[in-house]
Amino acid sequence: MITGSSVQSTPAEAHNAASSIYVAPSLASALDALSECGAAGAVFAGGTWIMRSPIRHEPLRARYVAIGRIAELGAVRIGTDVVEIGAAVTHAALAAALADLPEFDVLAAAAGRSANPAIRAMATIGGNLATPGFAAADCVPALLCLEAEIEVAGRDGRERMKLEHFLKIRSTLAPDRLVTQVVVPRSERKTAHARLPLRKAGDYPVAIVSLSVSVDAAGQVQAARIAVGSVEPVARRWERLETALIGRSLDAEEAARTAAELADEFVGRDGIDAPAWYRVSVLPGLVRRAAATALGA
Amino acid sequence: MALSLTVNGDRLASTADPATPLVDILREELHLTGAKPVCREGFCGACMVLIDGKPTPSCLTPAALADGCEIQTVEGLATHGQLNRIQAALDASDAVQCGMCFPGMVVSLTHLLTTRPDATREDIRAALTGNICRCTGYERIIDATLLALATK
Amino acid sequence: MSDVSATMDLRRRDAADKLRGRTRYTADRYLPGMLHAAVLRASVPSGRIVRLDTSRAARMPGVRAIVTDADAPGMMGIGIADHPLFARDLIHYDGEPLAAIAATTLAQAQAALAAIEVEIEPLPAALTMADALAPDAPLVHPNWRDYEVLFEGGAREGNVAWEATVVRGDVDAAFARPDVEIVESSFRVGRQNHVALEPRAVVASYEDGRFHIETSTQAPWGIRNATARLLGVPASQVRVTVPPVGGGFGLKFDLGVEPFAALLARASGRPVRLVNSREEEMLTCLFRENADIRIRSAVTREGEIVGREAVVLMDCGAYGGEQIFLTTMTAHTLGGNYRLGSVRLVSRAVYTNTTPNGAFRCCNGVYNTFALERHTDEIAARIGMDPLLFRRRNVLGDKDLGATGQVFQADVLGPMLDRMDTLRDAATMPPGRSDGRLYGRATTVGTWFVFVGPSAATVNMNADGTATLVTSGVEIGSGSMMQALPQIVASTLGIAPESVIVRAADTDAAGYDVGVGGGRTTVSLGAASLSAAQEVRTKLLKVASDMIEAAPEDLVMREGRIEIAGAPGSGRTVTEVATRAQALGGPISGTGAFTGAGVPAMPGCVAGHFIDAIDIPVFAVHDCEVAVDPETGHVEVLNYRVVQDVGRALNPRAIHGQIQGGVVQGLGYALHEEATIGSNGRVCQTGFETYRVPLALDVVPVEISLYEGAPSMGPLGTKGAGEVPILNVGAAVACAVANATGKRVQELPLTPPRVLELLLDRKRDLDLPHIAETWSDNLVRPHKTPQGNA
Repeated sequence: MITGSSVQSTPAEAHNAASSIYVAPSLASALDALSECGAAGAVFAGGTWIMRSPIRHEPLRARYVAIGRIAELGAVRIGTDVVEIGAAVTHAALAAALADLPEFDVLAAAAGRSANPAIRAMATIGGNLATPGFAAADCVPALLCLEAEIEVAGRDGRERMKLEHFLKIRSTLAPDRLVTQVVVPRSERKTAHARLPLRKAGDYPVAIVSLSVSVDAAGQVQAARIAVGSVEPVARRWERLETALIGRSLDAEEAARTAAELADEFVGRDGIDAPAWYRVSVLPGLVRRAAATALGA
Repeated sequence: MALSLTVNGDRLASTADPATPLVDILREELHLTGAKPVCREGFCGACMVLIDGKPTPSCLTPAALADGCEIQTVEGLATHGQLNRIQAALDASDAVQCGMCFPGMVVSLTHLLTTRPDATREDIRAALTGNICRCTGYERIIDATLLALATK
Repeated sequence: MSDVSATMDLRRRDAADKLRGRTRYTADRYLPGMLHAAVLRASVPSGRIVRLDTSRAARMPGVRAIVTDADAPGMMGIGIADHPLFARDLIHYDGEPLAAIAATTLAQAQAALAAIEVEIEPLPAALTMADALAPDAPLVHPNWRDYEVLFEGGAREGNVAWEATVVRGDVDAAFARPDVEIVESSFRVGRQNHVALEPRAVVASYEDGRFHIETSTQAPWGIRNATARLLGVPASQVRVTVPPVGGGFGLKFDLGVEPFAALLARASGRPVRLVNSREEEMLTCLFRENADIRIRSAVTREGEIVGREAVVLMDCGAYGGEQIFLTTMTAHTLGGNYRLGSVRLVSRAVYTNTTPNGAFRCCNGVYNTFALERHTDEIAARIGMDPLLFRRRNVLGDKDLGATGQVFQADVLGPMLDRMDTLRDAATMPPGRSDGRLYGRATTVGTWFVFVGPSAATVNMNADGTATLVTSGVEIGSGSMMQALPQIVASTLGIAPESVIVRAADTDAAGYDVGVGGGRTTVSLGAASLSAAQEVRTKLLKVASDMIEAAPEDLVMREGRIEIAGAPGSGRTVTEVATRAQALGGPISGTGAFTGAGVPAMPGCVAGHFIDAIDIPVFAVHDCEVAVDPETGHVEVLNYRVVQDVGRALNPRAIHGQIQGGVVQGLGYALHEEATIGSNGRVCQTGFETYRVPLALDVVPVEISLYEGAPSMGPLGTKGAGEVPILNVGAAVACAVANATGKRVQELPLTPPRVLELLLDRKRDLDLPHIAETWSDNLVRPHKTPQGNA
C-alpha cells in the first residue's frame, strides 16, 4: 500500500498496480534484468526521486532494478589521471572520498551540501545525472565544469560519452541502458561550487555556478570551465564567460562584472520557488563567490 | 515473496508490495507508529529510522531495499525503558512540545551523538537540516544536544 | 487562596513517551475492523455539478460506504451559515469535497474515488479580492441573501461576506486640520500554512446511536456542534474525544475532516479513519488569510496622532469561516498600540473562489501589526522624529482610550519599551560589518488579547491524595494542559503537581469549552480549574478542621499535608483527610466555570463586531537586527529580542519555549513561507519542497524578558503566553529590512526574490485599486452611530 493521496478527481494512478523491485547482485544481472523488463522497467538507484512519484502524481513503473548493492557501482576509484565514480555512489560517500583532493572541491561541495544529510546518504550520483526532471541537481554543473564523461552500459557492451552529450540524450536513453560510472579527469586546477538555496540550506538551489580554472605561474587563466545549473531546465556551460576570463588574472570582482554583461544569454526558468529573472540576476554574484572561493583554495 | 525485516531486534516477515515505503509497513503492519509520514518526500525527517545504523527517511525506502537489513525505530532506542542520552537530555531541557518531530529528531541525534562527539552548535544545526520542527524554534533541541554531548 | 506558589518549572509529563515514539496521535490510531477513507475533491475553482454518479465506485473492490451531499444536509459557519460539507450544486473552490469513500484499504478507497463519475460545467471564478470586488465580479455565493444569519450586526453584500466598522471621534475634522501631515501607506500579505506536523486526522465510529469522533482538534465542543449541524442530528448524539494533538496553531480550531469519517462510520457500521495527505493539508489548509491594507493618518509635527483611518480586506476564500469573526480584531490590532485622537476602520471579509482560510496563531494580528508598525515608521520618517521616540510618546498607557473607546489600565507598553532598551544596551556589539551586506535594526510594539470565553472544570479529589482534573482542554503541544493547569490545581491543594491527573478531553465527561487557542487555556480553563480546586480545598479544610481540631482559616495546605499554619508537621496528610471525607460524606469534588467579564466599549463605536472590547490585552515589544545581501536579497536575522507582557509567569521556562517557537514561526511568515494561488485557482505550493518553513540553520536564539505585573483578570494574574510570540515578528523584520535597505517594504514574506526586486527597483509602489480612495466609499452599509459622525 502506498498512501500518497490526491486532490484530483483522478487520484489513483500511483496505486493501481504493484511494482516489483529486483535487487541486482551484480552489474551483469542488472543489465540482464533491464533488458528483460524493456519499457516496463527502470533503474532504481537511491530512490529519492522515484519514491516521490506519488507526490508528483506520476505512476510507478511496473518493474525496477535496484543497483545499490552492486559493489562495482558503489566505489570511487582515485587514479593518477582520472577519478572513476560508480553510478551508485551516494552524495555523502562522494563528498567524503574527495575531501582531500582540492582539485575536486567543486564536486565535493556539490555532493556535500545538496539537500539534507539523510538524503545525501541515499541519493546517488547516477540518479542525479539520469533524472531529466530535476533541474536543480547540484552535481550536474559541477561535473560539467570538470569535463566529466559518462559511461553507459548495456548487455552489448559499454560506451563512454561527454556529459554534455549525455544530458542531450538522457531522456531518450533506451530502458535497458544503465549509467555505470562517471569518469572525471584529474589536473591542476582551482574549483568552486556556488549554490543559492532560498534558506541557508535544505532546499534545492535556485541557481548554481560551478567553476574550474587552470592558472599559470604568472597567475593568468589558461583554461576556464564554468557551468550554470538550475537557471535553465538543463545545466550548461557558460562558454562566453569562460572565453572572457582566459588570458587574464582571475579577479572575483572583475569576473562578476563580466558575468553581469553576459548574463542576458540565460533565459531562466520560472518556478514556484523563484521567478526566471531572479535566477539570472543572481548569477554575477554567484560567479564572484565561486571565483573568490577558488582563489582562496 | 515475503520480505524479512529485523526491526528493533525482532525478525519479522511482511508480504507487502516491494515498493511499499518502509514507513507504511512499520506503522500499518507492525503498529510501530513512532515514525511519522509527515511529508513523504525526505524533507521533514519525521519518519527517520536507523537502517544498518544509518539515519534514513523510511518514506523513501522501499520495502525491498529494507529486506535483510537491521532496522531500529525510535521505539527501539530506549533500551529497558530507559531514555537514551539524547532522549534524557531533551526531556531534561523541556524541549518537547507537540512531539511529532521528536521521533525523527531522536533518531538523527542519536546517530550524531555516536558519530560526531565533538559537534559544535553550528554542526548540530547543519545536521538537522532535514528535520523540521514547527513548534520549538529548534534552539532547545540544540541546547539539549550539547548537553547530551557533554554528559558522556 | 493557596499556600504555596503556583510558579514552578514543572517538566512535561508527556515528554518521555513522545521522545520514545509511544504517543499515539489521532493519525496513529488503529481500531479492529477499521476502514480507511479518502475524499474526492473538485479540480476547478468554480463550476456547476452536472452529474455525480457513485454507482460504479460502489462496486469497486473493498468499498464499504460512499457518502455525498445528500448525507449531510446542514450548513455551518461563523456569523453566517454558508458552508455545506460537500459542494452542493455549485463548486466554490478547487479542492472542495464532492464525495467520500470508506474501503478496507486506503489504496482501495483511492482507487474507488477515480471511479466516481463527475461532470462539472466550469463557471467564471473570482480568484483574488480585486477580482471579487470588481463591479462585474462573478458572485462566489449567488444566493448569499438566503443564508441563515447566526450572529446579527454585520453588513454583507455580494462578495463581501462580512463587514465590521469602528468610528470614534471626528476623523474628517482631524484630517482637515492645518497643522497635520497626512501619511498614507499600503500593504499586502500572503497566506501562511500552519504545517502542523500531524495532519488533520480522525477516527470515527457509530455506537448505540451516537457518533464517537476521536480527532486531532483544538476545539472538541466546536467539532461536536458543527458536525451535528452538518449532519442534521442533535449535538448530543456526537461525542468527541481528543488524543494528543500533533500541532494546531489555529488550524485545528475549526472543523476539518471529522464529518466525513462520522458519516462513513454510520453508513458502514465500522470504525473509519481519515487522515489528510500532506498535499491535502497544503492545498486545503485553513490558511492564515492574505490581506490588503490601506492606512492613513493625520499626525502633528510634534508626533500626535489626531486621526487614523484604514481599510483592511481579508480574503476568506470560498466560505466566510473565521474571517467573519476576525473582522472584529482589526479594531484591536491595527487600531491598537497607540493613542488615537479619532479613528475609523473598516475590515471586510471577502469571498473568493479559493480554498477557505481560517485561524492561525494571532489571527489578523500579525499582518495588521506589520502594517501598523511599518506605517508608524513611515510617519516618523515624514515628521523627522526618531521612530522609537515616536512610539514612546504614543503607546497606550493608563486610562488611554482604545479604538473602540475601551479604557486601558496601567502603563504597560511604556515600561516594556524601557525594558527593551536595557536588553539592547546590554548586548555585545556584533562583529565588524565589512561584508558588503546592508544592516538594519527595528523595535516594534504589538497589541493582542486573550480570547476569554466559557470554560468548565471539575476536580475530583481521590482518596489516595491525588486529584483528577476534568476539562475539555486539549494538549496541542503548548504545554498548558501539562504544566499550567496541574500547577494551578496543585498549588491550591498543596499537593505535588505530579499528583494532579489531567483527563484528556471528552465532551461526554467535561462541560463546554470554546477550545484551546487565542491564548485562553491558562486563563479560561485555568480560572475554571482554580475555582474547582478551591471548592475542593474548602471541603477538605472543613473535614480537616474536625480531624485536627483547628479552625479552617488556621489551616494551610502544603507538601501534601493539611497543617496548622506555622506548625510544620502538624495536622494530617491530604490523603488521610480525603479518605476520611470519602467515608463521611462521599468523595469530594469541585466544579468551576469561567467566562469573560465583558469590558465595555464606547456606545456606538462599533458595528458588526463579535466583541466590542478586549477583556485581557496582551502587549509585546520585539527588536531585531538583520543583514540583507544586496546581490541575492537574502535576509539574515542576526539577533532577536522579545519583551512580552505575561501578567504572571507560572512556568517561565515553558513560556520561553513558546516564545522561541512562536518567533521562529513568525520568521517563517516574515521571510520564507510563501503560499500563492495559481491561475487555475489552486495553491501552488503542494509540499515541503516549495513551502519553506524555517530550519535549524535559519533561526537564532531569542533573547527573552518576561514582563510581569500588568493587570489581568486571569487566574493568579496570568495572561495567555503561547499565542502572542508570533505577533510582531513580521513587523520587526519588515521594519528592520526597510531600515537596512532604505526601501519601502510593503509586502510579506520578504523572500529573496521579493527583496531583490525592491533593491533593484524592479517593483512599483503597491497599488490597491480595489480599495476606494474615500474611506466611506468602501462600506456596503454606512456606519451608524448615535452621534451620526460617519
